[in-house]
Amino acid sequence: MDRITDDLKRPLVDLLLSIADDKFILGHRNADWTGLAPMLEEDIAFSSLAQDEIAHATALYQMAAGILGTTADKLAFRRTPEEYRCATIVEMSDDFNWATAICRNFFCDHFDLLRLERLTNSAYTALAQLAGRLAAEEKIHVDHVDSWMIRLGRGWEPAPARVQAALNELAEIAPTLLEPPPGLEKLEKAGIYPQSRSGLFEPWRDVLHDVVQSAGLTLQLHPPSPSAIGGRQGKHGPGFVTMLDELTEVFRIEPEAAW
Amino acid sequence: MSRLRDQLRLPGEGDLNLPPETDLQPFEVFIQLQRGKPHAHAGTVDAADAAMALQFAREHFGQDQACVHIWVVPREAMIGTEYDKDVISRLTDRSYKYARGYQVRKRWEQFRSKKDVDQYEKEDLKEFF
Amino acid sequence: MSVSASVDLKLDWEIQEDPARLADFEKRVQKGELVEPDDWMPHNYRIGMLRMAEHHANSEIVGALPEGEWITRAPSLKRKLALIAKVQDEVGHGQMLYRVSQDLGKARDQMLRDLITGKTKYHNVFNYPAPTWADVTMIQWLVDGAAIMNQATLADGSYGPYVRTMKRINMEEAFHFKSGEDMILTLMSGTPRQKQLAQEAFDRWWEPCLMFFGPPDKDSVKTTPFMRWRIKTATNDDLRQRFVNRFAPAALDLGLKIHITSKETTGLVKRKADGEFERRQDPEIRLDQKTGHWRFSQPDWNEFYRVVKGNGPLNKQRIALRRFSYEQGQWVRRAVMGSTDLPPGR
Repeated sequence: MDRITDDLKRPLVDLLLSIADDKFILGHRNADWTGLAPMLEEDIAFSSLAQDEIAHATALYQMAAGILGTTADKLAFRRTPEEYRCATIVEMSDDFNWATAICRNFFCDHFDLLRLERLTNSAYTALAQLAGRLAAEEKIHVDHVDSWMIRLGRGWEPAPARVQAALNELAEIAPTLLEPPPGLEKLEKAGIYPQSRSGLFEPWRDVLHDVVQSAGLTLQLHPPSPSAIGGRQGKHGPGFVTMLDELTEVFRIEPEAAW
Repeated sequence: MSRLRDQLRLPGEGDLNLPPETDLQPFEVFIQLQRGKPHAHAGTVDAADAAMALQFAREHFGQDQACVHIWVVPREAMIGTEYDKDVISRLTDRSYKYARGYQVRKRWEQFRSKKDVDQYEKEDLKEFF
Repeated sequence: MSVSASVDLKLDWEIQEDPARLADFEKRVQKGELVEPDDWMPHNYRIGMLRMAEHHANSEIVGALPEGEWITRAPSLKRKLALIAKVQDEVGHGQMLYRVSQDLGKARDQMLRDLITGKTKYHNVFNYPAPTWADVTMIQWLVDGAAIMNQATLADGSYGPYVRTMKRINMEEAFHFKSGEDMILTLMSGTPRQKQLAQEAFDRWWEPCLMFFGPPDKDSVKTTPFMRWRIKTATNDDLRQRFVNRFAPAALDLGLKIHITSKETTGLVKRKADGEFERRQDPEIRLDQKTGHWRFSQPDWNEFYRVVKGNGPLNKQRIALRRFSYEQGQWVRRAVMGSTDLPPGR
């Protein structure tokens, strides 16, 4: 389909925002490593991937902005905390711990690739095409992070211990990625997001397990509780507000002006 | 400062308590900007192995312009000549193997200017030769 | 490439080079020929070039820090992406320049360690603070503008790997500069607050940029063969004049005023009781019709020497951040060196 009926507009916007916000906030966090990463060549590569996430978010915000009649920048910078649809796992700071940064990407990049691949079969043509382009780039991220998991997991101590610790810590909140944005059932019924609610957790968990095993590490992942309400519904902690304040600090000096 | 950078507990001054590290291996990077074009040397990356070198090469040298293909080669695998010792292009006259070693234009003109050459043949020669 | 592990990394002006080889080398360089890593070169050429590339590399990776501070706070999607890409480029330039020095005989790890322990230095200009978003604009416009001018003359030099690196770097600097111009044009067409931010940032960076090219030629410590060897191809004063000729009229066109500021001993601009900068307009600024050059007041060179000695506003903090990065990354590098048994295809 090339047009979206009115009843599907808000659910589609919420879906686009959930993916865009995940990417925007993750990219925002990862970009702060530029200039400080453990090795120069990896600094450059990691920064490229952070730019990808923000560039992807921009494209998704633009699609949502088209439906809402606003701009991508206004969506990125002007919403209240309750209007952001990102999962809890992208919000937290990695405290400049490389193990945390890599493990967080591990969970997020694999989930992102999975959902983007599903969306390449979307009945909404524009979304299917955009998802195709984003998935092709996300594949680079998955390859990158898998290599790092294996190198660190099989490297000299204390690397395996540090990565295992980060995996254990993040395994609690990683499944927040699977929380559905509001109105997802409507999108699934209309074929806009095929197989969206069932069958995301198992493939995600299985591919993560394969890599973790190759890395000589362990991982216990549990599906999210169906009653848990979190980031996708706009529920974020005080840390999110602090982060958003920083993100919008310069923008808010002159919110109506061009920068 | 980004809030995070501002909050870091930064180290003091003085000697480092960490042992020196060996540099990783250099890999030469060659990029191809378009199918059909030759690869060009783009630079060098330090990496632990070829897979890592390829990832690094892609993000460091493959992003400035459209790039469709990348080779990485460990520097130790590259064998080359030495400027002072090795003669490559020959020093004796080899004009026989270059197009410029043959002067034919004046001689074509001599043919074309002969009055007994048919006008038609003249045009023909001009077009194809 | 021949890298001698035990190359003595100090300049030695007492050294006796083979006169025939030296003369031949100098003749080739004068003719405009390029020197490649495997060529014979005088000891001081090798060391001079190594240290210059090392200093340049250090400057790039320290230079990534003032702007890197603002990545999390960039005010639009495009500015955020452009800033990340720009800072990423600086790291890339550092990587390429360290490679030039590695191939002349010094390990990268040693260079990183010497930087963070204060044994080697980096460009003075990165000891100044970037307290507002407008400083990011000034760095991309003025500092990168100065760097492009400097690097264009270095691209005319004699050492092949360094010349090739300069050309590559300048290709990327072109985007930094254009992005800087885009930002300053936006600020100076913006709100009064934005214009005020821009003017104060300009006041902070104008004089450090005049000092970017080094002290006046008459004050240069010693005459070295570096210009004869085409390691350096333009004088400090020459470059400084070119910079002023380009940027003074551009600044005035935008509505910026060119001030002489009063500084603390640390190099920070003094503020009066009412919060305004202590500054006055530079009375010298005008186009000299006879020479075709823009006249300007020299910056306070005492400040330059103070900051070079390590008493600049942010010398300690910048190095501490780089040291943090090195120390925190050690376990990662160790792991990478130890794990070579990856499954095929990874």
